[in-house]
Amino acid sequence: MGAKEEAQGTLSSTDFGVAASAFILNWNTICSSFPPWTWVLSRHQVEGYLSLENILLSSTQEEYGELSCPGPGKHPHQEDPIDVDDATLVRTNPCNVHYYDLHIIYCNSYRVPVLYFRAYDSDGESLEFDEIEKDLPAYSKKALSDSKWTFITQEEHPYLNRPWYKLHPCGTSEWMKLLFHADDALAKTGVAIELYLVAWLSVVGHVVGLRIPFEMMKQL
Amino acid sequence: MAAESQSPSSVKKVVVHLRATGDAPILKQAKFKIPGTDKFAKVIDFLRRQLHRETLFVYVNSAFSPNPDELVIDLYNNFGFDGKLVVNYACSMAWG
Repeated sequence: MGAKEEAQGTLSSTDFGVAASAFILNWNTICSSFPPWTWVLSRHQVEGYLSLENILLSSTQEEYGELSCPGPGKHPHQEDPIDVDDATLVRTNPCNVHYYDLHIIYCNSYRVPVLYFRAYDSDGESLEFDEIEKDLPAYSKKALSDSKWTFITQEEHPYLNRPWYKLHPCGTSEWMKLLFHADDALAKTGVAIELYLVAWLSVVGHVVGLRIPFEMMKQL
Repeated sequence: MAAESQSPSSVKKVVVHLRATGDAPILKQAKFKIPGTDKFAKVIDFLRRQLHRETLFVYVNSAFSPNPDELVIDLYNNFGFDGKLVVNYACSMAWG
């Protein structure tokens, strides 16, 4: 990856692929009690994206969402949510459970990854944004209401022909520059492109209350 | 929910060093001690009030942005060095 690109906080689509492979390996090793991220190839088998689906992001009004065990039907074994993490709070009303699909897709025009997400209930019915908003952690709701920009938009998924919510990428390179900036990184370890997505997700994950385990971040 | 309870008289305080980056204003007083049991959200809110800005990008060790609900003591134990937790902040972000 060129130093110039790194200094701008962006990355090429090739580097996105490299970062994605490393991220999957990392996450699936370090966060083995969580559902794994997978790489999905697009229809034309040329481009791909990262996918984490059918996950339970549970939250109350005070606590942030915690990645919990997957919804029914997709994974062969389900851990008791109480055992997953002592900070996990799971909705006790089974009729009101919300599942999320998260996709990380490379955006050619901004040259950064973008988070797409959708939520649905236990019947598979898609949720509208006002229902999703209730799931969001308090600090995310605050950022949404305070921000001059509407940074979550709904648009057609690049590959799936249906509307998904998306976290707009306009600010991404600005803050990725800070997390990945040249002087410290080069002086110490030369943080590699492989870790781009860990840093990126630590920020973007806030929006949906996805907490990245410390072990992942210790590599940065 | 903390993994272990702390008796009130022995709550460890964490030294937080706030570092401005980019065009962010530098605080006169940049080092603070806060109870380890406080959430990182307190540090973020403190910065917002001091700088009179709602939109701040707050991150640790120039590497990642902690979840606001993380406990300061956990962040310090994992990412602190030289007896302090270094928290960077920047302005002019599109969101965050």
